[in-house]
Amino acid sequence: MKGKILVADDEAHILHVVSMKLRNAGYEVVTAVDGEEALELCGSERPDLIITDYQMPIMTGLEALKQIRQCEGMRDIPAIMLTARGFDIEASEMIAAGIASVLAKPFSPREVLEKVTELLGSDDEGTQAQ
Amino acid sequence: MTTAKRLGLATVALISLGGSAAYYATMMAMQGYSVPRSGLSYLVLGLIAALTALVLLAFWRSVQRSVRTVSSQLENMTRTRQIGLVMADGADEIAQITRPLNEFLTATRTQIEQLRGENRELQIQSRIAAAEKHHTEAIIFSISDAVLVTNRFDELILANEAAEKLLGFRLASSLRKNIDRIISDGTLVRLVRETRSHGRNFTRRVVEHSIDQKGTPKTFSVTLSCVVTDNEEVSGVVAVLHDITREKEIAKMKTDFVSNVSHELKTPLASIKAYVEMLIDGEAEDKKTQREFYDIIASETDRLHRLIENILNISRIESGVVKVVREPISLTGVVKQVLDVARPQAKQKNLQLVDRLAPVYYQVEADHDMIYQAVMNLVSNAIKYTPENGSVTVSVTVDERRGVVVCDVSDTGAGIPADDLPHIFDKFYRVRANNKLAKGTGLGLTLVKHIVETVHDGKMSVTSESGKGSTFSFEMPLLV
Repeated sequence: MKGKILVADDEAHILHVVSMKLRNAGYEVVTAVDGEEALELCGSERPDLIITDYQMPIMTGLEALKQIRQCEGMRDIPAIMLTARGFDIEASEMIAAGIASVLAKPFSPREVLEKVTELLGSDDEGTQAQ
Repeated sequence: MTTAKRLGLATVALISLGGSAAYYATMMAMQGYSVPRSGLSYLVLGLIAALTALVLLAFWRSVQRSVRTVSSQLENMTRTRQIGLVMADGADEIAQITRPLNEFLTATRTQIEQLRGENRELQIQSRIAAAEKHHTEAIIFSISDAVLVTNRFDELILANEAAEKLLGFRLASSLRKNIDRIISDGTLVRLVRETRSHGRNFTRRVVEHSIDQKGTPKTFSVTLSCVVTDNEEVSGVVAVLHDITREKEIAKMKTDFVSNVSHELKTPLASIKAYVEMLIDGEAEDKKTQREFYDIIASETDRLHRLIENILNISRIESGVVKVVREPISLTGVVKQVLDVARPQAKQKNLQLVDRLAPVYYQVEADHDMIYQAVMNLVSNAIKYTPENGSVTVSVTVDERRGVVVCDVSDTGAGIPADDLPHIFDKFYRVRANNKLAKGTGLGLTLVKHIVETVHDGKMSVTSESGKGSTFSFEMPLLV
């Protein structure tokens, strides 16, 4: 297994398609439908990377990431944000939430996979070499 | 010959006569004639005295007459307030005085006429100025923007009703008072002072400023101008406060709307794009998965289409360009058509679909397609948000006393939390707690309310209890 990825989105189709793309590429995927669930899963599943939608019910992706950063050992997990509101996120907030990359909706699953490989790539090569 | 000369000559004549008589008497006495001295001289002297008295009397009379004539003419002028010429008859000395007097009177008359003319001119000008002042005040008072005028000491010299209302003062009791004693808004006072003190370098400026009006913040565009005299001195400041709260709200609503619309459009678009790409990349290996992907693409395309239709319908109604075909229709008839279409959907979830409908002959004047759309939205919402084995009841009742037809759509579904209820008809508003139950554009209820209230002058309402269900109702005037 190449690594564990948490995907959070309230749109079932997006969740489905991203998970499938990543699973087909050999990643383990856990899914959440809102920010709160994402936060819980982070604690129990300890993912290697987080992909989250920005606008979600109960808790936004941004708020969830900020809280995830407070948890033990979660400070440096790379995160990708998907959003249909590209310009609404302040740069300072992105830094505070530790967002490595923002992908605007409609996005390309291919592009998501590329970003993931880019972010987890070196580690994977390391683990594969062992 | 003047009276004085005549008098002089008469005196000389009298003296000569008296003298001659005295001389003659003296000569006679010297030559030895006996002259009855006392008799003769008394006679002569008496004669002289009598003559003198006569002359003096005549002279006095003449002067008196002249003075009376002149004085009566002068009195007449005083009474009639008309300056004329003075004519003296009788004593020439008085006539002599009248000449310069007449010259003086003529000069005075000319001057008075000139002054009268100037006075008339000034009166006209002052009337024009007063009229212009009224005019200007009328303009200022009729302006709906708040207008304040201050002098060089920052004292209030004019303000209109809008300013009185906005800033909470009475003009009558605030005139000539420094604005810092009248206006509690420190920023506005500072702006007026700054404008006055910067004077000529800064004759006009526009500042956006927020003022609380009865607890609600309002945004104003404040235009401050210096009043500059001919000597280029600042004699005061005019402040005009234009309420731009609504404009700002509309601008924000537009931005929010565009942002919401694009977000809502991007969501199905994102699915379509992603699934298409997955198919192209061969990520769906078996036929079943491929079929699933095609179905998702088709339904997301429909969703996108519905969304665009809803947005267009709402904006058509809002901008008033929608074509409305009003005709007598039966609400019961429309509900029956909707229920026929919705029945399979309800059956899938094993929902009981109940109808309690008034007779078909009760009619309303409405656009059939629009009312169909409104009822359809309400019924399909009720089905979507009601869990399996629940029930949806649609009723049409007639209230003849109030002259209305009421349509209620009740469900035993999720209900709407009290916090969400006031926003349920807002554009793109979705109840977060019920988000997982069904997909929606957040436009369906907005459209229903628009169709009922904006297009048909009806009334839309909702009651709901979270977890127990909701009832959406609308009423329309009964056609009699």
